[in-house]
Amino acid sequence: MSDYNLSRLNFLIVDDNKHMRALVKSILHALGVKNVLEASDGADAFKELRHFPADVIICDWNMSPLDGLDFVRMVRTGSDSPNPFVPIIMLTGHTEMNRVMEARDSGVHEFLAKPISAKKLYSRIRSIIENPRPFVRAGLYFGPDRRRKASPNYNGPERRQSEQEGGGNEGEVDASELSQDEINALLNG
Amino acid sequence: MSDNKPQAQVIKPPQTLQGKVDKGGPGAVDLDALAKAEDVIANLADDYLNWVQEDLMKMEAAFTKMEKGDGDPKELLDNIFQVAHDMKGQGGSFGYDLMTAIGDQLCRLVEKMDKVGPREIGMIRVHIDAMKVIITKELKGDGGDEGRQLLMGLSLVGDKI
Repeated sequence: MSDYNLSRLNFLIVDDNKHMRALVKSILHALGVKNVLEASDGADAFKELRHFPADVIICDWNMSPLDGLDFVRMVRTGSDSPNPFVPIIMLTGHTEMNRVMEARDSGVHEFLAKPISAKKLYSRIRSIIENPRPFVRAGLYFGPDRRRKASPNYNGPERRQSEQEGGGNEGEVDASELSQDEINALLNG
Repeated sequence: MSDNKPQAQVIKPPQTLQGKVDKGGPGAVDLDALAKAEDVIANLADDYLNWVQEDLMKMEAAFTKMEKGDGDPKELLDNIFQVAHDMKGQGGSFGYDLMTAIGDQLCRLVEKMDKVGPREIGMIRVHIDAMKVIITKELKGDGGDEGRQLLMGLSLVGDKI
């Protein structure tokens, strides 16, 4: 495991549950993070981003009025977004495969299944540090490259599009829940 | 490939985290730091028992309305789902894996309900009662024999809908 000093990173935690925010904040402080800002929903978080230079956003899915997915899309594609490239970790209890894919397609970097642990959270942060990904604008999508594995022989334009058009199984994805390891395998595959 | 398909544009982000993190040295996250962070969570377990009581009260408030036939049943089911979802997401972090499992079962159950009648109310009630048992007896992990039986009983309830 690589050891990184996180003390200079600014984290924004977005969750409507104050207990969950307290838990994530406690873990981040224990990992040496100094600067943590909290927001209770997507709209609040978007406002905070205007003056808070977040290096990483940890974002819940279920929130109102603006939920996690809408917030991610606003950050990525909003014309007034302060930082469309900011790494985002989606933190959620929704771990069905179709949900994981939906989060990925909204433009998140990492997906972290609740309940969380310090080790699981750090592993997602480490993944963002160690695997900086280029961003891709393709059709309506703007976000980190969803193909995590380098494919040096690939010269075609849009694998995702051909997956959607030719795969034919988008609506048939398994709705059973995935473990964090299965999620990582799915996203890295 | 036809020519009218949009080409993907690849953009290099202006900065990466690597520029702001040092590797190794004092303050870096090593195994000791991770163990300490896990201890911080473990020390929040008492707080968790208070948090989960608050959640349970919220859930019971919605459930009581449902029993009395007050309010919009769909909205009340959604309230119960949201609280159960929070409970599912938190229990395991503090060693209450059984709370996470039962929270999950309650979510799966409630999302299948398209109406609220005596049968549905009874099904939700047994889940709330099971959650109360976990808190009262502080059943950590899988709750041992008692916990496993509880979960098995609730699975049978869930299968009926």
